[in-house]
Amino acid sequence: MLRRKMKARYKSLILALIGIVLVLVSLSTGGTFISPRSLVDALAGGGDPVYYTILVKLRLPRILLALVIGASLAVSGTVFQAVLKNPLADPYIIGVSGGAALGATVGIVCNAAPFMVSAAAFLGSIGAITGVYLLTGRMRLGSTSLILSGIALGFIFSAAVLLIYALSRSDQIHRAMLWLMGDLSGARYDLLGGMGAASLLLVCAVLYYHRHLDIISLGDRFSKNLGVSGMDVKVLFWAASLLAAVSVSLAGVVGFVGLIVPHLMRNIFGPGHLRLVPAAAVGGALFLLVSDAIGRSIAPPYEVPVGIITGFLGGAFFLVHMMRREGRP
Amino acid sequence: MSVFELRSVYAGYGPLAVLRGLDLAVGDGDFISIIGPNGAGKSTLIRVISGEMAPERGEALFDGRPVGEYRRRDMARRFSIVHQAIEGSAAFTVREFIAMGRFPHQGALAVESDTDRERVEWAAETAGVGHLARRQINELSGGELQLVRIAHALAQNSRVLVLDEPVTHLDVRHAVMVMDLLWKLHREGATVLTVLHDVNMASDYSDRIVGIKEGSVFFIGHPGDVLSYESVEALFGTSCIVMKNPTTGRPFVYPVPGYVK
Repeated sequence: MLRRKMKARYKSLILALIGIVLVLVSLSTGGTFISPRSLVDALAGGGDPVYYTILVKLRLPRILLALVIGASLAVSGTVFQAVLKNPLADPYIIGVSGGAALGATVGIVCNAAPFMVSAAAFLGSIGAITGVYLLTGRMRLGSTSLILSGIALGFIFSAAVLLIYALSRSDQIHRAMLWLMGDLSGARYDLLGGMGAASLLLVCAVLYYHRHLDIISLGDRFSKNLGVSGMDVKVLFWAASLLAAVSVSLAGVVGFVGLIVPHLMRNIFGPGHLRLVPAAAVGGALFLLVSDAIGRSIAPPYEVPVGIITGFLGGAFFLVHMMRREGRP
Repeated sequence: MSVFELRSVYAGYGPLAVLRGLDLAVGDGDFISIIGPNGAGKSTLIRVISGEMAPERGEALFDGRPVGEYRRRDMARRFSIVHQAIEGSAAFTVREFIAMGRFPHQGALAVESDTDRERVEWAAETAGVGHLARRQINELSGGELQLVRIAHALAQNSRVLVLDEPVTHLDVRHAVMVMDLLWKLHREGATVLTVLHDVNMASDYSDRIVGIKEGSVFFIGHPGDVLSYESVEALFGTSCIVMKNPTTGRPFVYPVPGYVK
């Protein structure tokens, strides 16, 4: 396995370098190509004011949004996979996406402003998390009760969304469906700052618990006997859920990032969460950045919602990953 | 004072109590094996002792205090448990896995201290798995993994060890290695409480054998005193012959094929 061949330090360095290159490439490409030289000039405050506007008002928010959402989803998925000891767990496993979809759909049907749609999605996802949290009662997170109540709530939410569709006009339905696919086109600084800070805080909280996560991933009884408390697990549950809620309310339901990135990073960096959590954050951020770049450029002048691209890429990655696993002795 | 003490404990799942008035005292430095048929309550006993399951009636004490009064972390510092299996299949290295035993002794942000490192190395050497340090736990054989899990428990606390069927799935060589290791730790002063399915292993190694049947203690005492063909037949419901193990002088139980009662 790759893990043994190279020191983690070098792997981190390579990941960071890839990240910087990708961000720079994303900044310079798009409808207008901006050369590296002009890029530096514009960001330094000089150069062509048009470039400055394109970079700072258009491209940078979108890039930052992709990074924040990708990182949040991947870290959230990492936590859920550890806490539920389920390699197929993802950030939406407990119904966050269903709750958010219902909130957003209501907002869109009521012709609410984009900000209010985001707020409604956030409320919806918080509602879903709280619902699952209360339903599972004593938080036996290792058991399937959490997953099952998430699935049950998910059914109810999607039924409610379909009910609203049935009663709405087609243009509203179209907008709601676009939102459901996961879309970064609504990037705005006003939400980005607060949500980005919230995400960063939550990722730090998760990182603080990295040793708990290592132990929790080996079993409930194992972690209990090592002194991991129910409170520790609850904090992790809420941190991961809120990360999912933040990203889903900013950009809709972007699938597969939170499922596939933790897998890939675990293969490269090993199962220890001290390295895995930051690696997943960076990997998720870059995965979404690339997906969005593809979505923007694959069928001009249309922009394909990023959720569709992550679906294709994620599914393909997943298949390759599975086949490589099968091939291993 | 006893390390563990159970006073007429009733415990179980729902209306069906698995433990029905079980009394047991484990003294400091004891090597006690628990035997009994499937479903007799051996694993439930471990759950009660570890604080995973609260007794419905009666008391479960550790160092004279009810188990439920301890914070989990405090319990984790005072004794370690080796369960039948770990759930995950994560690719941690043996070294990383053993070092997790230091978790209850470390602060949240603490890095590995010199003491931690010493304990981990000592645990690995004592369990004879030092050479496996860089291997991944999901690539070990069952026997190697079991020794590694005991090393992990030793890094956590080497004074009081509770084990749930530590040799059940092991070949003879690894079973003897595990039991020899427990015996060595016991000789050095450790308290060992282990559930065993192999009556002869229990007989050869323990100070006292506890036979559990239908949720309470059926017999308890030195193997030479309590293991007779009558007691073993009554405990397991199958015919057997009891002779002496020529190497240890302890009773040796031969089941008689075809005579399940």
